[in-house]
Amino acid sequence: MTLAELQARFQAGIIEGDKTILASIADSRKTDRETLFAVYYDAYRFRLAEFLSNDFPVLRDFIGDEVFGKLVEDYIESAPSRQPNARWYGASLPDFMAETLAWRKNLRAIDLARFERALSEAFDAADAPILSVDALRDIRVEDRPRITLEFHPSLRLLDLALGTEQIYDALTQGDELPAAQNGKETILFWRGDGQACYRPLTSEERLALLEARHGLPFGDICALLAFQRNGSDTILQAAGFLSQWFTDGLVTHVSICD
Amino acid sequence: MEKPSPLGFGLGLRPVYYKDIIGKNPRIDWFEVISENFMVPGGRPLAMLERIRNDYPIVVHGVSMSIASTAPLNFDYLRALKALAHRFQPEWISDHLCWTGVHGINLHDLLPVPYTSEALAHIVDRIRRVQDFLGRRIVIENVSSYVTFGESEMDEWTFLREVAERADCWLLLDVNNVFVSSFNHGFDETRYISSVPVERVVQFHLAGHSEAVTHKIDTHDQPVCEEVWSLYQKACQRFGPISTMIERDGNFPAFDELMAELDRARAIAAAVSDETHENAA
Repeated sequence: MTLAELQARFQAGIIEGDKTILASIADSRKTDRETLFAVYYDAYRFRLAEFLSNDFPVLRDFIGDEVFGKLVEDYIESAPSRQPNARWYGASLPDFMAETLAWRKNLRAIDLARFERALSEAFDAADAPILSVDALRDIRVEDRPRITLEFHPSLRLLDLALGTEQIYDALTQGDELPAAQNGKETILFWRGDGQACYRPLTSEERLALLEARHGLPFGDICALLAFQRNGSDTILQAAGFLSQWFTDGLVTHVSICD
Repeated sequence: MEKPSPLGFGLGLRPVYYKDIIGKNPRIDWFEVISENFMVPGGRPLAMLERIRNDYPIVVHGVSMSIASTAPLNFDYLRALKALAHRFQPEWISDHLCWTGVHGINLHDLLPVPYTSEALAHIVDRIRRVQDFLGRRIVIENVSSYVTFGESEMDEWTFLREVAERADCWLLLDVNNVFVSSFNHGFDETRYISSVPVERVVQFHLAGHSEAVTHKIDTHDQPVCEEVWSLYQKACQRFGPISTMIERDGNFPAFDELMAELDRARAIAAAVSDETHENAA
């Protein structure tokens, strides 16, 4: 048997439980080949389960150890790792839940998984120097409507089931779970001082941040917000958002568009 | 061929111990870091490594090079590893004499190799290619294994020696892995140690393992056992001063307990060194 054939059989033995590889393995003086090969078979599942438990501790709390164990088992069966780095193994778990019959109706669990995944992504995202609000001081007042912003690579915006953040907070702080609610909420995720951070956004700030990320100038964002609010003056509100984005450490670059 | 100078006594850098290390300057000569933990776009792990690297030498130790796999070499992985090495300037780069998957899958385990001439030629070729790409000799570690392949044509220690000499790489001798595999396969661990070429070994690993009655499993979640300390003493007698470190990856004890293990390693190595000098005199 070639090395390639042996490795293919060994891997099939681990992933699919195929027994063909056992013909190449000797019993030891103390035990049989099945027991010895099971060290690899079990370690594979144990290790992947450990990665998922580390990445989704709050989801595990929310659905309970037994149900989480079944979810992990289903995910491992459906998705062997294709990454050299175990940190990315759980990246598809929320999508797997959303696409799987057994899970797709459990929107709160799916969105809690998305919430935890976003925290992991923010934690590992690329570095970039952030600007303080002082960066605006050098810009003339008449140019300020034309400013555009670039944001830190860790920034994530997720629309989640209403109450997802409350569930996360309750489980991490040992509080009582909130009642199920209908509707949506938007959560902003980013990395601040090395730690993953999050906060909810109002619909106005969500709109402003989405458009700012797409490069819309500050003046146009104010106009959009005014349109949303039937023409009322929104400059102060938009200025408040802008100031908060700097305070949060979200802004990496300011420029003035033509 | 001059070996890198010994670094002294080190620890595997794990986040759980950052608070005991940063700003505390414990009596540790160097750290070994898991390459993959730092092959990330950015964030706290890289920032912490920057701080530690300012004060200590490091070596990078990978688990996903998959040097024995029949899958193509993963050059995306190797590029990321090379970039990590460029940024942090480790004393050396190590990985394991194993494979981690084929057909695009990573099983995240250190899988065993049949000790055949085909596997030997394959691995030697791949180590040479990796060394060419990285522009440096790499360090290859013996793994713990739980199965014996009927296809094997030679002993593990013969295979290891042939790999090192033909590929012209360094070796990381994991003393615990020698002990675990000797129990699992019923070979003489002293014979293993005495067959590994002295001029190739640049690093020792010490670690604990788990007992499963009929076999032992390399889990790094227990203290170093007495038999491994004894084997370490023999390794010191054969190989002389070698960079030595403790690996701990689970069931993490208080930092002082690891420091005590490191002190024991220092004491054993010092006693062997004194004994050697006395004999020479």
